Amino acid sequence: MNKGYALKVEGICKHYSQTLLLDDVSFSVKQGDVLAVTGWNGSGKSTLMRIIAGLVRPSAGRVLMFAGEEVIPKEMRRRFLGMVAPALSLYDELTGVENMEFFCKVRGVPYHRSDSLALMEQVGLGGHEKKRCRDYSSGMKQRLKIVQALVHKPPLLLLDEPGSNLDSKGIKIVENVVAEQREMGITIIASNEKREVDYADRIINLSE
Amino acid sequence: MKNGRWITQTESSTCLSEALAIWVRDLRSEFRTRYAVNAILMFAVTTLIAVSFSIGSFRIAETEKPFLNGVLLWVILVFSALSGLSRSFVKEEEAGTMDVLKLSARPQAVFLGKLFFNLTLLGALELIIVPAFIIMMGYEIELPGCFTAMVVSAGLGLGAGTTIVAAMIAQASARGALFSALSFPLLLPLMIVAIKGCERAAVGTDAAGWPEVRIAVAYIVIMIIMSLFLFPLIWEE
Amino acid sequence: MIYKILLAVWMTFIIVASFMFTEAASGFPGETSRILFFHVPQAWVATLCFLLSMIGSALYLAKRRLGSDDLAHSAAELGFLFCILATVTGSIFAKATWGSYWNWDPRETSIVILLMIYGAYFALRSAVPDPEKKRVFAAVYSILAFVTVPFLVFVVPRITTSLHPEDTMNPAKPGMDPRTLKVFLGSLFAYTTLFVWMLRLRMRLLYLEHLKDPIARMRRDGGIE
Repeated sequence: MNKGYALKVEGICKHYSQTLLLDDVSFSVKQGDVLAVTGWNGSGKSTLMRIIAGLVRPSAGRVLMFAGEEVIPKEMRRRFLGMVAPALSLYDELTGVENMEFFCKVRGVPYHRSDSLALMEQVGLGGHEKKRCRDYSSGMKQRLKIVQALVHKPPLLLLDEPGSNLDSKGIKIVENVVAEQREMGITIIASNEKREVDYADRIINLSE
Repeated sequence: MKNGRWITQTESSTCLSEALAIWVRDLRSEFRTRYAVNAILMFAVTTLIAVSFSIGSFRIAETEKPFLNGVLLWVILVFSALSGLSRSFVKEEEAGTMDVLKLSARPQAVFLGKLFFNLTLLGALELIIVPAFIIMMGYEIELPGCFTAMVVSAGLGLGAGTTIVAAMIAQASARGALFSALSFPLLLPLMIVAIKGCERAAVGTDAAGWPEVRIAVAYIVIMIIMSLFLFPLIWEE
Repeated sequence: MIYKILLAVWMTFIIVASFMFTEAASGFPGETSRILFFHVPQAWVATLCFLLSMIGSALYLAKRRLGSDDLAHSAAELGFLFCILATVTGSIFAKATWGSYWNWDPRETSIVILLMIYGAYFALRSAVPDPEKKRVFAAVYSILAFVTVPFLVFVVPRITTSLHPEDTMNPAKPGMDPRTLKVFLGSLFAYTTLFVWMLRLRMRLLYLEHLKDPIARMRRDGGIE
C-alpha cells in the first residue's frame, strides 16, 4: 500500500526577455529525499521552485509528479504540494486560524480546527491564532507561512528560503519540519544558507 | 505512514464549495477593510447627488422622464460599478496573496468565488442606489415587478461581464483606466438593453420590458460560460 | 510586384467607374449615393478583420503558435484603420444627406463600439509587460469582445430605428441597377484584395521581428511555433 511519491523534472528552460535564466535543468526525487537547490542571487532558484509548483510555465521541458505509477494531473497538484516562499503572503485582515481555515477549504481538504491549532502550537504560534495577521511580526508571519504549507499534509514540500526572518527557535522548527517531511514525502529547499543546505542529501547548483 | 495523509489528498470536493470558501473569505476581508464597497458607494452617492441637484425631478418633461431617468440611472450604476469591481483582484495582487491563491485554488473556483463577491457588491449598490434614485428623481414606474427584474438581471450581467476583465487588469500595469476601457465595450450592449427595458417597465407598454430581461439573462449565461472557459488561461502563467 | 500594380490599376478603374460609369441613385441628394462604393466595402473589411482577429486569437489559445497571434494583431490593426475610414466616409455621407455628422443609428453605434473594442485591445496589449501573458490576455479579450457582437447586431436594431438606407442601396436586394451592382462588387473585390495585401505585409513584418528575438527563434526551432 506504499504509494511512493516521486517528482521528475525534465529539461526545464526559462527565458525572461532576452536572457536565458534556466537552461535544461533536470533531476528526479523520490519519497524520503531532501534536495537543496543553490546558486547565486538571480540564478533562478525561486523561478525553478515556482515552475515546480505550477505557478510559472516553463519555456521548455516539463515537471511530472507521481503517486506510485500514476501521474498527478496539474490541476490536482495543488493538493499534493505545499510551498513557503518570500513572495507568497497570507491575508492580513484575517486571523491566523481563519487563514488556515481558508487554505484548507479552498484546497478541498477537510478542515479541523483542532488540527490547525495543534499545528500552530507546533510552530510556536500558540495563543496568537485569534490575532489578525497584520499584527504579526515578520518572524510570526514566516511561521504562519510554514503552517499554511503543511495544513493539508502535502507529500511534496517546497521551501524557498525558509529561514528568512526566523530566530534560532524558528530555525529549529524548520529543521523539525524537514525531518518530519523526510518520512512523509519529498522536500526541496532553495537556499544559499549553509545550515539549510546541510539538511539535504543532494545538492543542485544552478550557477554551474 | 499516517493513514490520514492519503485520505486528505484523495477526498473529493466540489468546485462550488471551494468557490464559496473564496467568497466567504472575500466578504470577511471586505467587511473588515471596506476597500471596495467604499469606492463604489462613494462614487454612486456623489453622482446621484450631483445629478439630482442639477437636474432634479422637475427639469425633465413628463414625456421624457421614463427614458431619461433610465439613462441616468444606468449611467450612475455602470460607472459606480466600474470604479470598484476590479478591487477584489487588484487587492490580491497588491497584497501579494495572488500567488498563494493560484497555488491552492482551482481557477474555476477562483472565478466563481470572485464573481459571487462582485455580485454581492453590485447587489448592495443597487439596493441602496435604485430606491434613492427613484425617490430623488421622481421616477414613476408602472410595472415595478418587471422593473425589478430588469435591474436585477442587468446587475448580474454587469458582474458576469467584468469579473474576467478584472482578473486580467490586476496582472497588468495600467490598472484603473484600463479596467473601464476594457469593460465598457463589453457592457455597452447590456447597458442599451437595460435602459430600454427600464423605460418600457416605467411606461408600462403591453410587452413591458420582459424581452429585454430575457436578453439580459442570455448575456449573463453567455458571459459566465465563456469566462469559465477562458479564465484558467489567464489565471495560470 | 505585378499584383500590386494590377491592384493599383484596378482600384483606379473602380474609382473612375464609380463616377463615370454609373448613375447616381435617385432619392439621394446629388452624387452622395456614390459613397456606397467606398463606405460599404470599408465597413465590410472592418468586420472581416474583427472575425479574423478572433480566429487568430482562438488559434493562438489552442496551439500557441506565434503566427496566430500575428494574425490576430495585424487584423486588429487593419481593422482599426478600416473602421476609421468607414466612420469618416459614413459621417461625410450623413452630413450631406441628413444634415448632421453623427446620429447614433444602430450601424453607426456598432462601428463606434467596434472602434472602442480595437482601442481597448491595443491598450491591453501595451499594458502587459510579459510577452506571453500579453498574447494570451489579448486573445482572451478578443474572443470575449466577439461574443458580445451578436447582442449588438441582433438586439440594438430591434430597439432603435435605423437611418441607414436599406432598399435602394442594399446590394443583396435586386433593387440596385446592374451597372451599380457591377461597380460595387468590383470595389468590394478591390478593397478585400487591398486588405489581404496589407495583412500579409504586416504579418511578414511581425514575423521578421520575431526572428530578432532568440526566444521566439527557440520556440520555432523547438517546434512550438
